[in-house]
Amino acid sequence: MAWTKVCEKSEIPEGSIKKVWARIGGGIPIAVAHHKNGYVAIPPVCPHLEEPLEDSGMVTGCKLTCTKHLWSWDLETLELKDEAELPLKTYDIKVDGDNLMVYVTEQLEYTFDEDEDIDEETFFDGDDDYDDIW
Amino acid sequence: MAPRNHKNWLKTPKVEYISSECYNNYSIFEQEIEHIFSKVWVPMCHISEMSNDGDFRSTQIANKNVVAVNRGGDVHVFLCPSIDRPAGNGLSTDGLHELHSEVKHGGMVWTTLDLNPSLSVEEWTCGAFDCIADAIDTEEMEVFHYHKAVIDTNYKLWHDTNSEFYHDFMHYFNRVSGFNDEYFARKNIPFDNGHVNVSSFTVNYEEYEGFEDRGELSFPNLPPNQWYMVDLFPGYNFNLRGNAYRSDIVTPLGPNRVLIEFRGYGLKKDTAEERATRVKAHNSIWGPFGRNLHEDLIGVAGQGTTMREGTETRNILHGRHENSTIHDEVGMRHYYEAWGKFLGVNPMNPLALLEDNVQAAE
Repeated sequence: MAWTKVCEKSEIPEGSIKKVWARIGGGIPIAVAHHKNGYVAIPPVCPHLEEPLEDSGMVTGCKLTCTKHLWSWDLETLELKDEAELPLKTYDIKVDGDNLMVYVTEQLEYTFDEDEDIDEETFFDGDDDYDDIW
Repeated sequence: MAPRNHKNWLKTPKVEYISSECYNNYSIFEQEIEHIFSKVWVPMCHISEMSNDGDFRSTQIANKNVVAVNRGGDVHVFLCPSIDRPAGNGLSTDGLHELHSEVKHGGMVWTTLDLNPSLSVEEWTCGAFDCIADAIDTEEMEVFHYHKAVIDTNYKLWHDTNSEFYHDFMHYFNRVSGFNDEYFARKNIPFDNGHVNVSSFTVNYEEYEGFEDRGELSFPNLPPNQWYMVDLFPGYNFNLRGNAYRSDIVTPLGPNRVLIEFRGYGLKKDTAEERATRVKAHNSIWGPFGRNLHEDLIGVAGQGTTMREGTETRNILHGRHENSTIHDEVGMRHYYEAWGKFLGVNPMNPLALLEDNVQAAE
């Protein structure tokens, strides 16, 4: 494996995070965050409960926050912040001219505990039949 | 309940819920200013803050400057385009447009931007203050504490945290001084116009190290160590804890920013020693460095982060039914039913009807 282009710099303004693909095999999903002092490439989901960080991630300064349960990390030091209990896994990333290049040897993934699923029977899969309540 | 994963967040709840869009959409915020804050009675300050002839106290309601003035002992409230001071004496009100005002419920100064209000303050609050009326209306009160906080959160999230009690587990003080059968048996009592009471119970203050029983200096006619709350629509909270009383007044500054004014009250007839006791009791829990208040502010700031504009829309569950006891979300459901009626929207999907309403108004 080697450095592979994932997107152009202009696609990810500072203070944002975007899901991109490394064109290796069937494609490897990666989230690239542009923080105050550079870029970080990580798996595209939060290590807490698999939230897609492109939708739920918020980059402010050097900090990435998953807005669902406030797990946060310093993207420069990778230090855990706020509610975070697990570290981010990272790919090496560099700027090459106008392009962002990521070094991918294998797909990085987190392990999720399915037993922690909530009581779906009780709370979810409703039928939008609550108009009368309001 | 375990936290929701992404799959759960996207599912349609089978219990009552509201959309997070209620908290972060700018059009909704504008509609709230126009259809709620420009219409309701607002407790803008306390009479003791303007006790001398000529004293005035100003605030902003729905982006308009408003000033309350003491004229020979009577309170008059005016729209005041150019005021730049929170308080003072000797303001000329010549040419200013006077608003309706009343002094009611423990000496609060109430006003409304509605030029022809259909309800008096008494009719608007419709019984929500009855539970503490004997305590706050028997003796004159006065403000001994004032501070304000600007928080990056929606104003309703502050009112929510004053109305719902999941967050009580966040407070170490509540856990050690209150958690007993009586605490959990308290009732949420809805009143018309979206107001809610939280009924009382006996707080065991001495269970918290360094705190003392508050029975001796209870407010008039209040049994020892009782704790009542009045949550007034759309964002005003009145909180009576034994020997100290607090009010929170919100001024929404944007979908994700709110100014909250905190006041602490004692009785005008307090001796210096009694006042010191009340101030200590107030500040130890509700002061900026007190035991509970900052925990609430951190909590709602976090909620503001989770639901700020641009975040993925999700459903906020209001589905707990527990015979109206303290963790029953009846108060939240009651509030959002009133909120939806004011805006003409369904809180489950507020944007669906909002655009139609705006177009119809135009």
